[in-house]
Amino acid sequence: MADKQFKKKISDALDNNVLRGALGRFGDTYITAREKAYEGYDFPSIRENIVKVKSYAASHLDEMIDQFEKAATARGAKVFRAATGEDVKKYISELAKRQGVKHIVKSKSMASEEILLNKALMAEGIDVQETDLGEWILQLAGQHPSHMVMPAIHMTKEEVADIFSGHLQRLSQPVITELVKTARVELRKKFLEADMGISGANMAIAETGTLMMVTNEGNARLTSTLPRVHVFLVGIEKLVPKFEDATHILQALPRSATAQQITSYVTMVTGPTPAYYEDGSVKDKEFHIILMDNGRRKMYNDPKFKKTFQCIRCASCLNVCPAFQLVGGHVYGHIYTGGIGTILTNFLNSENDAKNPQNLCLQCGKCAEVCPGNLDIPEMILELRNRMGEKQGLPFTQKFALDVVSNRRLFHSLLRVASKAQKPFTKGQPVIRHLPLFLSGMTEKKSLPAVADIPFRDVFKTIKQDVKKPKGKIAFYSGCLIDFVYPRIGEGVISALNEKGYEVVFPEGQSCCGAPATYMGDRTNARKLAIMNIEALNAESVDYVVSACPTCTHALKDSFQELVEDDPGLAARAAELSRKSFDFSKLLSDLGGLEPGGDGVPLKVTYHDSCHLKRKMGVYAEQRKLLSDTAGVELIEMKESDRCCGFAGSYSIKFPELSEPILERKLNNIEATRAKVVAVDCPGCLMQISGGLDKRNPNIKVVHTAELLFEKRKKNSKKN
Amino acid sequence: MANARSAELYDGFKAKLEAVSGECYRVETEEEAGKLIGTILKDKGVQNVALLEGEVSKKGNFAQQLKFMNIDVMSDNFRKVTPDAQAGITQVSYAIAELGTLVQADDDANVDQRLCSTLVPIHVAVIRTEKLLPSLAETMSTIHRLPRIPGFVGFITGPSRTSDIERVLTIGVHGPQQLIVVFVD
Ligand code: SF4
Repeated sequence: MADKQFKKKISDALDNNVLRGALGRFGDTYITAREKAYEGYDFPSIRENIVKVKSYAASHLDEMIDQFEKAATARGAKVFRAATGEDVKKYISELAKRQGVKHIVKSKSMASEEILLNKALMAEGIDVQETDLGEWILQLAGQHPSHMVMPAIHMTKEEVADIFSGHLQRLSQPVITELVKTARVELRKKFLEADMGISGANMAIAETGTLMMVTNEGNARLTSTLPRVHVFLVGIEKLVPKFEDATHILQALPRSATAQQITSYVTMVTGPTPAYYEDGSVKDKEFHIILMDNGRRKMYNDPKFKKTFQCIRCASCLNVCPAFQLVGGHVYGHIYTGGIGTILTNFLNSENDAKNPQNLCLQCGKCAEVCPGNLDIPEMILELRNRMGEKQGLPFTQKFALDVVSNRRLFHSLLRVASKAQKPFTKGQPVIRHLPLFLSGMTEKKSLPAVADIPFRDVFKTIKQDVKKPKGKIAFYSGCLIDFVYPRIGEGVISALNEKGYEVVFPEGQSCCGAPATYMGDRTNARKLAIMNIEALNAESVDYVVSACPTCTHALKDSFQELVEDDPGLAARAAELSRKSFDFSKLLSDLGGLEPGGDGVPLKVTYHDSCHLKRKMGVYAEQRKLLSDTAGVELIEMKESDRCCGFAGSYSIKFPELSEPILERKLNNIEATRAKVVAVDCPGCLMQISGGLDKRNPNIKVVHTAELLFEKRKKNSKKN
Repeated sequence: MANARSAELYDGFKAKLEAVSGECYRVETEEEAGKLIGTILKDKGVQNVALLEGEVSKKGNFAQQLKFMNIDVMSDNFRKVTPDAQAGITQVSYAIAELGTLVQADDDANVDQRLCSTLVPIHVAVIRTEKLLPSLAETMSTIHRLPRIPGFVGFITGPSRTSDIERVLTIGVHGPQQLIVVFVD
């Protein structure tokens, strides 16, 4: 759970308008700029190629390192394998001593940040200069980078000018071109006097011993041209098998990182190159390559985290992250920031340092969609969360709530009690303050919808299904929200499937899908619920299992299988369930959609994509077609329709300060369409968005696709 | 050489280079190249230039032509002169049409090639039109097929740039502020 100090950091970051301005502006333009940069290129196939070469390197790591060392040594390089950051520091400071080095220039190296190399070298009395503009600013300011690609994105030109003024003892004006000029002049001196250069690399080619750097400013070129000693500090994850393999990464890295077709410079160094020595002679440099482990192998040896080797450090996962966009990098507390940074921190630094930041992940999956290394970062973060949950246990309130949820009888009878008890507070308004324990019993700030008078499981018994000669049988899995809060959605589901000629059953033994437990890192309760539902739904006895909540569908399709994989009997049943489970819109559209219909009354509708439905299941066209095929419905697309609404299960309760601005943005996009109705396919999104609209613009209604179809297609419907 | 093909590659290259604030020209002869470069540099008020002699510049008498136009030509001692030179002229190995990218791939990893193209505020790159390659992928395999991969291979695409302060694009950081490319048929 997020501790107090961490919360404080978040609120400081949120109060920092500069940061929010810079990050916001960038985040707004990044997505379209990136798409434009990839125009005419097939991102999925570039990504596939990257995965191919990187995963090969990951599973032949020793071979790669040996090959690289052999090739680089053959070209005259000295290669050193460093197990830890301490080894690196020792090696470089001894080398510097041996070579009589006084001035070092560095081009960007996150690996050196990771081990705090500068500090160690400066302690030896050596002058160390960062030369990447952003890094240099941070060095002068005594700060860490907040972003892997744009280290100083959190600072304004005014702040930079102040730092320069202080450092140079003369006034710098806050004019960006002037500041850049100042940096050029100041750093030029440093380049010319430096006797050692230290660089990072974006790739290390095993076949040829080549190091590649992808940069814009030209500092990497100068660092590898001027000083007579050159050291490359390279994490072992940079290895790529063959020279031509670099092509794929060069195709993706600039486009994903800064939306450029290619950076101003790509520099490839193979072995020592000639340099000028002080006496004016030209000779080969003293050339060293350090391959650093520092916790990486442990990460790649862990089957759940092996894929991190495929990361090319483009930082696009940060750029699209709704949480990162609000709080920036420094909240993450260490060198590597954002989702991928949290994972790296966990292994390269310590589990303890990852404990707080892992909470920031909304599990919206936007990062996985754009990642050129095809990493499922949210899954990995969840895995971290689970491991932490198992090790440290959850706080009492959460644990208690999750224990209650996984006890079906107790949970359901509490919900029934809640439905009665809330009466005096709702005053006829379908909104109350305190509700479902399945949201972990910590709700305070947020207004939530009321528990329905009659849960769907009771409504179901009163529905007359008029299906002549049924084509088959479908089990409906309602999930908690539809069962106890939004039973109308269930009615819509049944009516549509009846129309397709299927009889729908409601297995009574079903209970919560376990998502709250899963997302809070409580695998024990999640497993308990998985088994309960696998048994209750008895997939073997029906043609399909349908759910109208994508989070539940994801559980039915994927999580259950994972949770019971150690038990062959259950695993087989889970696989059967997975195969037969569909989300409502997907199933309905697979079954051929509905006959033409609809009341024809004009209604402007906009659509919000649920993170799980769009990205876990790839369903986004189906429901749009169902809706726009309904007479009367005019579908208007909103901006960023697939951007998370900020609900993310218990997130809105854990971090209302983040969930709210994320929701805010969604509401702005909704209002801009002037639609009267927002259609959604997820009851969680429904609850979040209508909670927000309720306060701001109660004229706009949020309706589940199933319910909207139901209402619009009702015979002789009275319009309202 | 199929002229239509090279025209297509050249047009592609030019469009890409101009999109990243580079200047692009094409001439028939070495002689014309020298003249054009002189005129451009004069126009920009350049009074001295570091010239790394290459096959084209020699054939085209660059040094003489430039001197004739009152531009000081420095063609050795580059470690001393390039930090203050107003421009640098080098011949590069390849160009990539797909990206508007120049490739420096001298087999001896010539350090002067790098000094004359990195330390100066204006870099003039000369290249034979036939050295235009269509794509990044073909460039990578062309480099790999060389007898050995040069110690230093540099891709250059436009002038140096940064967006490190407030994400505002600024041209000209540690490398050149201007990049001028002259293709010679
Ligand atoms: S995880 Fe993917 S998106 Fe994030 S930095 Fe790595 S490659 Fe880029």
